[in-house]
This record gives sequence, C-alpha cells and structure tokens, in this order.
Amino acid sequence: MIAAIRALEMPIRAEAALPRRVAARLSIGASKGPKAKVDWADLIGRVASDGDREAFKRLFEHFAPRIKGLMLKAGCSPDEAEEIAQNTMIAVWRKAHQFDPGTAGAPAWIFTIARNLRIDSFRRRARADRLQAGSELPDEPDQAEAVDVLISRGQDAARISSAIKQLSAEQSMVVRMSFIEERAHPEIASALGIPLGTVKSRIRLAMNRLRDILDEDA
Amino acid sequence: MTISHHPPEDLLADFAAGKLEEAHQLVVGVHVAGCARCARFVQAVEHLAGAALEDVEPAPIAPDAFARVMSAIHESPQETAAPPPASTTDPDLPPALRRYRIGKRRRVAPGLSLRPIELSGSGQARAFLLRSAPGSRMLEHTHTGTELTLVLEGSFSHEGGRFGPGDFDYGDDEVDHRPIVGEEGPCVCLVAMTGDLRMNGFLGRLIGPFVRL
Ligand SMILES: [Zn+2]
Repeated sequence: MIAAIRALEMPIRAEAALPRRVAARLSIGASKGPKAKVDWADLIGRVASDGDREAFKRLFEHFAPRIKGLMLKAGCSPDEAEEIAQNTMIAVWRKAHQFDPGTAGAPAWIFTIARNLRIDSFRRRARADRLQAGSELPDEPDQAEAVDVLISRGQDAARISSAIKQLSAEQSMVVRMSFIEERAHPEIASALGIPLGTVKSRIRLAMNRLRDILDEDA
Repeated sequence: MTISHHPPEDLLADFAAGKLEEAHQLVVGVHVAGCARCARFVQAVEHLAGAALEDVEPAPIAPDAFARVMSAIHESPQETAAPPPASTTDPDLPPALRRYRIGKRRRVAPGLSLRPIELSGSGQARAFLLRSAPGSRMLEHTHTGTELTLVLEGSFSHEGGRFGPGDFDYGDDEVDHRPIVGEEGPCVCLVAMTGDLRMNGFLGRLIGPFVRL
C-alpha cells in the first residue's frame, strides 16, 4: 500500500507535530490493505504488452472503487461517479501503452484520465442545460485532453516526488483536501484541528512551499 | 523564451484538479505547456491527487461494472478517436489552439482587433485572441470578473511589469489595467474573460459599444 510507505517516509518531526486526528487518519490509511506495495506500473505494462486480463482485473478491483470514491467526494452524483470510474478503466486499457513508468506514477496517471473524463462529463451536462434553455451553441468535440496532452511530463519525475516528500504531512493534506477532494474550509479545519480562520493561509503557505521546493531543486 | 510572470499557485492547482472552466483551462494550459516551471507544479499536484486516490474510501462499484468494461474493451481495444483534424493552419498559433475553431478577425478600434475562439459553450468565460498595434495603448478598462491573459507575441507593460511571450497576467476586479503595447511589434494575447468590460476614459467610451464578444 502506497499510503503505508508514504506514512513511513514522513519526517519524524512532521509526524510529531501533527494533530492527533491527522495522525490517526494516516495510520488508519496505512493499516488497511496488503502490506506489500503492488507494482501498478508493472500491471499496466502487462496490459499494454500482452493484453493481460488478470493484471487488468487487479487494476480494476483496486482503482475503480477508488475513482468512484474520489469522484463522489468531489461532488459527482453516484451515477456520474460510476460512469467516470468505468470509462477511466476502459481508457486505462486503451492507453496502457502510453503510460510511462518514469513519470509521477500509476495513481497520478489514472487520476489525470479520470479528471479529464470528469471535465468532459461536466461540460457535456452544462452544454445540454444551456441547449435546453434555448442557447445556440457550436458543435464542438470535448477538449479536456487536447490541452492536457501538450504538457510534457516525465523529465522531472524524481524531482517532483522528492519535493512532495519535503512537504509536511499537514501541508500535503491541506492541498489534497482543498483542491482534490474539494472539501469545504470548515471541514478542513476540523479534520486538521486548526482554526477555521487559518485554513486559507495554511493552503497558501503549503502552495508557496511546494513552489519554493520545486524551484530550489532547479 | 524567458517567462517571468506565472499563474498564481491556486489557479495552477485548480487546473491540475480539473476545476477550471473551459476558457480558463485553455489559457492556463497553453501557459503550462510552454513553461517547465509550472508544468512541474501541475505534476506535483497531480502526484498529490494520485496519493489522494490511493487513500480515498473506496465506493462500491456496480456488480456488472467489470463485465461492462471488458465488453467495451472487447469491442474496441485501441483508442478509436483520432485527434480531430486541425481546424486552423496558422503556424503562429500555439498547438493547443490549432484544434479550436477561431472566428474571423474583428476590428474593435484603431490598431485593435480580436478573434473569438469557439468553446463548447459549457462555461461563462469567453476566450479570444487580441491583437494590438505596436506602441498602442490597450483598452483602458476595469472588469467585473476575472481576466486571464497570456502573451503569445510581442509585449505589453503596465504597473505590474513587462509581459512578453509566455508571460501570464491575472486580473480581477481590483486591478485597473492600463497596458501599453511594446514598440517592437504587434502584441497578440490569448485572453479568457468573465464578467463585463467597463470602459474607462474617452477611448473606452468611444469603442465600448463595439466590444461585444
Ligand atoms: Zn509558468
């Protein structure tokens, strides 16, 4: 489980400085699932080279419910979250040959696929609403991926993961909760045990720190 | 190309999380595609998103989901949709824009013209290419929403500094922009804008009625 490994890699002082609730949350995450780290990249490679259904099934069983869980957290309806989860897994099979194990890793890659599908699904819905309301709209293909594919990934993978490790546990949690899980500030405040008034500044501090670490290594 | 003005971190994080509406995603994305520094930041947020995906509470998936996925894969195991053909052949445009339909150039004032970019119509913001003549003073304006500007060619300057190719400028309703275009050549910008433009000054009042995008 990557969560377990990440938790172990946290600097001791950061762990010690954590409010109890966060520490508890991290250790709960660490204790579920098998101890051995599954090599997702290897499984994706087997799908790409051999169309390995067994490997794909393992990827599906692990990631499909998690994609659905993340989409629900980010505000999708259950039907929409289910559809995005299934379509993401179809895309994982079809794009397996494009996966570069030298990049940020399988979970991040799978996240970007789900994210792009979610953008497209959101835009289709918004378009449909406006068409129904009588707006005339151009007939355009979905573009979320069109912009995304232009961003080169991979040259900096090692630098990026080392930068992430330099963030404190609270800093990476605050970024995850506010941007990825889209939690409301009061919820972030209570999960991290910090005053509501400081959530905004904690988010900003975490972002600046991430930018600084990435720049330092340049 | 030396880039000295970047999008703010929260905008990059929203981009990485997939939360930006189409016009904003386009302008930020074209910047990130040409900026190694911001590409690293976006990847770092995607990396955190991958960790969030690993840690999230799994939600039960439909019982027939795997079968449905396998039958979709069986029907077409490879990606079928080839990227749509480039709709514009203008070699000066960044690759991201070549897949969009871009409207005819419209003159909005002496030395100032724009070309609307056709979006899917899902968002509130408009996107357009703005071309201004060298040395001209751009629209003196304030706006009620946000305005994202990416310089593609030429330069402009305002109180925030000088903005050349690749530079990103973020304006909200607190900023009163009075940009002046550099003398070295025309300035072409990719702009995403929400809210209304409110023209200030004589030039603004004169051309205001024509700036309907
Ligand atoms: Zn940048």
